[in-house]
Amino acid sequence: MALDEHRLDELIEESRDTHADAMRSTNELIDEFVESGLESRASGEMAEGENREFAERRSENLRRNLVGVGAAAGMGAAMLALSETASFASTSTDIQILQTNQSIENLAVATYTLALTLPFIGGSSANGVVKAFVKETLAQHKEHEAAFAAATRRLRGVPQTKPDPVLLKVVKRAEPTLTSAAAVVALAIELEDGATQTYVATTGALRNINARKLTASIMGVEAQHVSILRAVQALLGANDGALIALPPSPLTALPAVAGSVGFPAAFYPISGARPKTEGAIR
Amino acid sequence: MRNSHKDATQMQISEAELTSLTSDLNDAHYETLSNMHATRTSWNPSQTPEQIREGFSRRNFLTRSSLFAAGGLLVATTGAGASTLPRLMRTDSPALVGRKATSAPLDVRVAALAASLENLAVSTYGSALSAATTGKLGAVPSALANFVKTAMAQHKDHAAAWNAIISSAGYDKITAPNAVIGASVAKAFSKVTDVPGVALLALSLEEAASATYLEAIDVLGVHQAIETAATIQPVEMQHVAILNFVLGRYPVPQAFASTLGAATLAQGPSVKRR
Repeated sequence: MALDEHRLDELIEESRDTHADAMRSTNELIDEFVESGLESRASGEMAEGENREFAERRSENLRRNLVGVGAAAGMGAAMLALSETASFASTSTDIQILQTNQSIENLAVATYTLALTLPFIGGSSANGVVKAFVKETLAQHKEHEAAFAAATRRLRGVPQTKPDPVLLKVVKRAEPTLTSAAAVVALAIELEDGATQTYVATTGALRNINARKLTASIMGVEAQHVSILRAVQALLGANDGALIALPPSPLTALPAVAGSVGFPAAFYPISGARPKTEGAIR
Repeated sequence: MRNSHKDATQMQISEAELTSLTSDLNDAHYETLSNMHATRTSWNPSQTPEQIREGFSRRNFLTRSSLFAAGGLLVATTGAGASTLPRLMRTDSPALVGRKATSAPLDVRVAALAASLENLAVSTYGSALSAATTGKLGAVPSALANFVKTAMAQHKDHAAAWNAIISSAGYDKITAPNAVIGASVAKAFSKVTDVPGVALLALSLEEAASATYLEAIDVLGVHQAIETAATIQPVEMQHVAILNFVLGRYPVPQAFASTLGAATLAQGPSVKRR
């Protein structure tokens, strides 16, 4: 097998370290949050109005960051409660959007879990990089699902535990045809692209700044899943499955299309976004 | 086994397939682009006094640590190092001395920063293509050459999108690369001698752009500007993923995108009213 399994494990471990580093930055935000509380009561350095405005905006931004990062890190309720304020404005539409987003994540989790039971994805005949990618992507979708659930609760909403009903039909229809890695990759692209488009669209639609921030922090990651899956699809289609390795070797053997197939548009489209309330609890 | 025997410049799919794929890419690209134009033309500069100020965090965007500050460029490409960069970005940085405060609306300043970063990406990729043409980088894989050409074209479109917003607000377009960050990039580029070096430099630029757009989504006030940032940020993230793949790094290293390494408004260009 082309893949050095040990090296791949190392790479995934490194990526987790990077993730953990990002989460550690939360501590800085917490410190600044406390500091800003003191600062907002200070006077003299700035005019009264400006000082108030500065403190309010800074606190608001810090709260936003705390929630975004905190939710991602699975922070405790007490810490997240630090950012519970009246300025956390939202609408019932925001809750519905978050529920829809979570429903998409629920479906992604179920689909990748199913994929890993297939011998050519999760079994001994699978490409090692594809298998590792599916496992890691599944873990990331679980984190996204948990983050959307936490955000919904913070808006006094009920988390959605069911999959998006329309996309579920797509998966059900595809299930009997999942007889090859290429078929699974094609289905995964459809789901990931749908998720990305939905999040891009709802990032602009969400009124609650924390919900917007969270959704924005996830949409690019789903877009990355799309990108790699499209590259994998191109390599499988060109009968270059052996080049699905980290790194592809030799690099010069990569077909030209592998360099651009992962990002087909300069602006991520939204025409395929799921309706905002499609996955909402009714 | 890997296809180790394949020629560097030999395409692995037929010309017809590649042409078809490229055509599909262009169709998708221009379909989206037309939507962007429609969005931008509906932007109303009269919204700026209240909306642009709403939600903006001056301190964060003005003083947060920057990927490109004071030579941090290549350090940040080492993954974990990006999150441990010192907060070098200060308003008393030599590169920033003498910069005057601007009274332009904040969304316009953010758009100007974004446009200047896009211009910098275009010029850097252009330099990479020139270096490849002259043989400075050795044998260039066709996939990477294709990446550079496609990404460069997309960055041009991104710059145009931001400049449309700037222009519609009554300000001059930003046509030059970001000068502050460009100095660090030029220094780094002068040391590049091979393809992985170019890929690492590109990765730095793309990561910084992604982080900056995520930050921008958090602080922009005008809806259309938010939409512009939201449709571009995932594309920059896709550039990052492919570069990670090519470099042999795990391509999607984090479950949540980060603002670490975002450029700051203080690094942005001056904006002038027409």
